[in-house]
Amino acid sequence: MENKRIIISYDIDGTVVPGDPPGRISIAMINESKKLGYIIGSASDRTITDQTRIWERNDIQMDFIVLKHNLSTINEQFSPLAGFHIGDTNMDEYYAKDAGFEFIDINGDFDIFWAKLLSGALM
Amino acid sequence: MITEIDNSWKRDSDGLGVWEHRGKVAIAGFGHSPVDRRWDEVSLDTTLGAYAILACQKAMDDAGLKPEDIDGIVCCPTTIAGNSGGTASNWAPRPYFDPPFDSEQGITRVNADWLIQQLGLHNVKFAPASAPTISEMVGLASQAVGDGLCTNCLMIYPTGNLTGRYRRGGPNASDMAPGESQWTFPWGNHGGNDFINIFPHQEYCRKYGGEHDDVAPFVLNQHRNGLMTPWGFNYQNDIPQLTKDDYLTSRYILRPLRLWDCDRPVNAAGAYLFTTSERAQDMKQKPVYVLNHSEHNFPFKTTQPTLDEIEMWTDKTAERMYEGSGLTASEVDIFNPYDGYSIMSQFFLEAFQWHGVNRGDAFAFYDGDITVEGPHPFCSSGGNLGNGRTRTAMYTDSIEQLRGTAGARQVTVKAETALCAFTTPSSGGWLMLGNSPD
Amino acid sequence: MPKLIPQADDLSRPFWNGVNQKKLILQHCTDCDKLQYPVKTNCYHCSSSDNLNWKEVSGRGYIRSAIVIEDGRLDRRMPDQPYNLAVISLDEDPTINFYSNLPGVEAYKAPIGSSVEVIFEEVAPGQLIHEWTLVH
Repeated sequence: MENKRIIISYDIDGTVVPGDPPGRISIAMINESKKLGYIIGSASDRTITDQTRIWERNDIQMDFIVLKHNLSTINEQFSPLAGFHIGDTNMDEYYAKDAGFEFIDINGDFDIFWAKLLSGALM
Repeated sequence: MITEIDNSWKRDSDGLGVWEHRGKVAIAGFGHSPVDRRWDEVSLDTTLGAYAILACQKAMDDAGLKPEDIDGIVCCPTTIAGNSGGTASNWAPRPYFDPPFDSEQGITRVNADWLIQQLGLHNVKFAPASAPTISEMVGLASQAVGDGLCTNCLMIYPTGNLTGRYRRGGPNASDMAPGESQWTFPWGNHGGNDFINIFPHQEYCRKYGGEHDDVAPFVLNQHRNGLMTPWGFNYQNDIPQLTKDDYLTSRYILRPLRLWDCDRPVNAAGAYLFTTSERAQDMKQKPVYVLNHSEHNFPFKTTQPTLDEIEMWTDKTAERMYEGSGLTASEVDIFNPYDGYSIMSQFFLEAFQWHGVNRGDAFAFYDGDITVEGPHPFCSSGGNLGNGRTRTAMYTDSIEQLRGTAGARQVTVKAETALCAFTTPSSGGWLMLGNSPD
Repeated sequence: MPKLIPQADDLSRPFWNGVNQKKLILQHCTDCDKLQYPVKTNCYHCSSSDNLNWKEVSGRGYIRSAIVIEDGRLDRRMPDQPYNLAVISLDEDPTINFYSNLPGVEAYKAPIGSSVEVIFEEVAPGQLIHEWTLVH
């Protein structure tokens, strides 16, 4: 399944519900993306410890947890066909592009992106 | 009922001698609101105004006073989000709420008039509006009580934050650079203390040896102290202790300035009750006496201050504080300088020569034991880095240390005097406190 | 991306007029023979306001210090990140300094101590700013 080589990277604050401020993406949505076979993880300015704790408290097993500016290191680990980083700031956009990923603005065309993610139409 | 005042109250020049009211003014109470990352823009019990009211009530309770006892109020009329903050500074233009939240006052601004009405402070006779930040307000309150302009003076410092990245938007979103920004904006300098201090910090490293990341032990210790401060943001939000690896792997903002060199904007208020030493004897808490205050505002010679200027300015403020209090460096037990960016604190440490730290010694000092349990409990408050940008931790911790009520942060060395400030090297003010008026 | 556009006021207009003519002219106090920048209403050194004139300077200096802006707050400059921001000290008076993005110098590669000379960049039609480039 092609989804197994597609990375979905989540910023935390302003993007996901457990963030500060809370974002739009719920834990259920993140779980759904995992069930669909995507490689999922978080790329945030929060420390690795802090990010790990958030996911543990919400019972989610992430495939990767990185600092936002190290998002590009994921490529070597997973050799993805494509990557998407969802975030809310210009720094999310910058580091998404730095990693060769497409930036998905949570406050922009996120709904269109999410529909494609659910239907397997990202590639 | 704003009281018009001029600047004659300021102790902002050299050679003023010992402060005339040394030991005659005391801080008898303090109070803090919860510290939120930002206002949620919905809940009226967590606005800046609501939090200012809460902080004032706690400060009055701490001192054992009632609203009718308050005859002076010093409140910063703006918030530190500032006019350049875009969405971070103004609620308007958006629909307001029912009174008393039917304007910016009470939501993103808190002035003396609003507080007088909300708290029912019917006996206030002194309510100046000109002090811009807490660094001057503590001096103004001290001087006002000393001069007999009021007896029980509430001093409130509200610090606001709304949604959106801090200080984005507003003038920072413009294509134009008017006023003072014509000299900085075109080249990317948004004119903050990050820029002002990072260049001298680099000069410091070249002159005395060391690297930027040598501040890491200090940053980690601030976080550690913050996690021992029950009212602070880090404690309240269970922020994990920052590690050296966390610091060294964090991204740069203005390389070499890292993410964790910067404090976290918050929405909160702190309040302090200043009174006469005589009245303080009959109040609930052990008095903390004001031994001196000073203010400074050194003009920039050119676009960017140099290390020489930073060192000159901080040397001057140290001389003034020691002269005005009649104390020497070796007599200062608690030292809480500002850490709003981590790179500032060492300039103060070396200027004041606390625990014998001279110019060029800071990095080695940081690498030693600066914990509150140890012999050199530097910045026992945890400052802004450990508690969020309330700018009040330095004052509150100093009071608690001198009272002996700092809990887990209580130092093990002598705690009879304290020097504290929210200030930058170029402008602000200092406060010297003691647990004895002598 | 173009840089932000300085808005001259009554005090600074002579300076920016000079820049637009590709000249670096600084305030010069003839009472104490000191230069100053940015413009001020009084002489920083002797406080005189009566004899603040203008003097063209050589436009030579050196890189005193430099950082790299990776996450700044100015919208117009965000697409340029990361970029250098250097402090340039003027040869005629090293206590006078300027900011520069060091055009032609790669980010993170600012050579501290190197000699530079002033150039002028257009930021808007008819509006230049002073910049500094390495002297080779």
